[in-house]
Amino acid sequence: MLLISCPNCGSRDETEFHYGGQAHVPYPENPNDLTDREWAEYLFYRENTKGTFAERWVHSTGCRQWFNMLRDTVTYDIQAVYPMGVPRPAAPFPPAADTGTASTGAASTTPLSPSTAPEGATK
Amino acid sequence: MANTAAFTGINGLREIRRSPASHLAEAFETGSVQGTVTLNEGPFQTMAGVRVDPRSEAGTRIGSVTGGLPVRCGEVRGTDRVSVLWLGPQEFLVVAPEDAHDSLGGDLIGSLKSALGDGAGQVVDLSANRTTFELSGPQARAVLEKGCALDLHPRVLKPGTALNTEVGNIPVVLFKTGEESFRLFPRASFADYLGRWLLDAMREFASPEVP
Amino acid sequence: MSTHQLPEHPDFLWHNPEPKSSYDAVIVGGGGHGLATAYFLAKNHGMTNIAVLEKGWLAGGNMARNTTIIRSNYLWDESAAIYEHALKLWEILPEELEYDFLFSQRGVMNLAHTLGDVRESIRRVGANKLNGVDAEWLDPQQVKELCPILNISDNIRYPVMGATYQPRAGIAKHDHVAWAFARKCDELGVDIIQNCEVTGFVKDGNRVVGVKTNRGTINTEKVGLCAAGHSSVLAEMAGFRLPIQSHPLQALVSELHEPVHPTVVMSNHVHVYVSQAHKGELVMGAGVDSYNGYGQRGSFHVIEHQMAAAVELFPIFARAHVLRTWGGIVDTTLDASPIVGTTPVDNMFVNCGWGTGGFKGTPAAGLTFAHTIATGAPHKLNKPFALERFETGALIDEHGAAAVAH
Ligand SMILES: Cc1cc2nc3c(=O)[nH]c(=O)nc-3n(C[C@H](O)[C@H](O)[C@H](O)COP(=O)(O)OP(=O)(O)OC[C@H]3O[C@@H](n4cnc5c(N)ncnc54)[C@H](O)[C@@H]3O)c2cc1C
Ligand SMILES: [Zn+2]
Repeated sequence: MLLISCPNCGSRDETEFHYGGQAHVPYPENPNDLTDREWAEYLFYRENTKGTFAERWVHSTGCRQWFNMLRDTVTYDIQAVYPMGVPRPAAPFPPAADTGTASTGAASTTPLSPSTAPEGATK
Repeated sequence: MANTAAFTGINGLREIRRSPASHLAEAFETGSVQGTVTLNEGPFQTMAGVRVDPRSEAGTRIGSVTGGLPVRCGEVRGTDRVSVLWLGPQEFLVVAPEDAHDSLGGDLIGSLKSALGDGAGQVVDLSANRTTFELSGPQARAVLEKGCALDLHPRVLKPGTALNTEVGNIPVVLFKTGEESFRLFPRASFADYLGRWLLDAMREFASPEVP
Repeated sequence: MSTHQLPEHPDFLWHNPEPKSSYDAVIVGGGGHGLATAYFLAKNHGMTNIAVLEKGWLAGGNMARNTTIIRSNYLWDESAAIYEHALKLWEILPEELEYDFLFSQRGVMNLAHTLGDVRESIRRVGANKLNGVDAEWLDPQQVKELCPILNISDNIRYPVMGATYQPRAGIAKHDHVAWAFARKCDELGVDIIQNCEVTGFVKDGNRVVGVKTNRGTINTEKVGLCAAGHSSVLAEMAGFRLPIQSHPLQALVSELHEPVHPTVVMSNHVHVYVSQAHKGELVMGAGVDSYNGYGQRGSFHVIEHQMAAAVELFPIFARAHVLRTWGGIVDTTLDASPIVGTTPVDNMFVNCGWGTGGFKGTPAAGLTFAHTIATGAPHKLNKPFALERFETGALIDEHGAAAVAH
């Protein structure tokens, strides 16, 4: 079970979230101008990184908000949580402070204010 | 449930309205352990789903109807009669007694709608969406802890906090109303499941504690 | 059934040669598909100066981790053709490979729990019959007769409304399959090289001419990728992309039990499938974990979910224990069909995207991929599964037949 720090709600079980795949994939500006190859790239091709991967999650059972996350796809360590629309934070990341145990707010690597994590929302 | 003259209003439909867990009422009564942990389904309530940016003018207008809008996860605002639960940064659940409903002589939904006006957002009457369970007693927390991953310890979770989370694997809004009392808002279709789940989780407390 | 004696374990199966400096072809990945490809390259195409490079131990990837369900009841003509060909090969391979890997044709049932399931299933039975694949539609009573421990009462969350049934489907001993191929490969002169990780490729222009490994560079005329969950990583080294996402897929076994479960039961809707292995363990699996992962482990809630479904369908399992859980890395595509064929790099070929269900395809994957590597052209069975389909749009959507896992 991943323990994911929602930027709005703090640490919650993975079961409260849904996975949204690779982050930062823009909709093509002019879909009509794309070749079949480019359209296929947009529809079907996503990075499948072994290592640090930027991906989207939505806190579906909580605040229903999307956010971005950097996660290592081998160790499953969550390295950063950051808002939609914000570019991917630069590496390297300090080791995440709270992997899998009780925490008192959003992870310290989160570039968002941990004050948004309420009392009682953490575990 | 009170059945005032006004309630007969809605074409007599109010008479035949049954709450989603009404078939479990007796089981809740026999499954409750007085002084330890008790469970019952609360009366119908008026509920409205509100989506609005709390910092916008429309947000301010809505806040003046509801007694403010909560600004962060867990926070509950409101008045004596109205509670506003934070569901998301721009999403709130407004809960009030049944008779606040416009069809029963109240004006909650209407005043929320006119407060929103043509501002960006929405007000949706969700009064039939969820039911309310009241779980209380010194073991209420222990019961919830069997199926809720949040830290429910009083040191962390204070009365007056409401959180959208999972209890028994299903989505529930969990409102801690007092030191030993919780209000759970499951969607109507989950009421039977959650009711039985809670009863099962309560069962051990009917037997003497094994030291 | 379950009390079948395992064959005597041979003392010797294959050599552990040092890699040569050059081969006519190199297969990357020593799982089922890599070994089967090497076998058919040697046997059908006379290519024996070839090597299978495996970064870990032989068949320690998904080949060691899968739940061994073999069936061919897929919806579309293209899939029915390749999976049914595989099933026919499974029926003759124990003799051909001179190794009884206990292919047990005990039948596979796919349960339907909703009206939508029922319609989809009956449609698939019809499609299967048209393609010469044995398939039947069973009503709940017939389901119960075939598998008495199934709970077919109306009183459960997702009642059993019927099932598709393929009598010729079944399970086999996965390790033994790998060993059977490996031994024959070895006999035919194929070098099986373990602890040899491919770390890059040597190219001459757009043509691959060698592979870099942790044991040195090896020259080769041709490269065939059979790396399952790591296909994207290898493709990236070679300079092209694959429309693949790698996910954890988990399974588990119970302790040994007397034979109680005579067939294989799968349910896409409630996410569980169960068979009883030859020794007596109940073998169960679920769907993939939602996130990308190379960790060979997934989240516990997936196991919990699958157990809840299993216990509701099979109340008798309530007293069984989970002995062991594990995970593999499966390479999923968006149409739930594999990718087999040429790549944008000359002389490099790819066989991947078998996702949660490639064990059953092993012999046909090997046979047709060997043809493609040897001739540079598609085999008629793998032609529809080429990478180009994502550009042409000729997808082969097998989510209905493949959904949960296999
Ligand atoms: C839990 C689980 C249950 C499953 N159940 C079923 C089922 O019931 N029926 C079914 O049909 N299918 C099932 N599958 C799917 C099936 O296991 C796979 O589709 C199939 O095994 C993939 O082919 P393979 O055997 O060649 O893969 P693998 O055995 O994974 O072989 C790939 C090999 O490539 C090696 N490799 C990777 N990178 C490199 C490198 N750089 N250099 C050298 N070697 C490398 C790996 O170490 C690995 O040994 C299941 C899978 C899992 C995980
Ligand atoms: Zn949240």
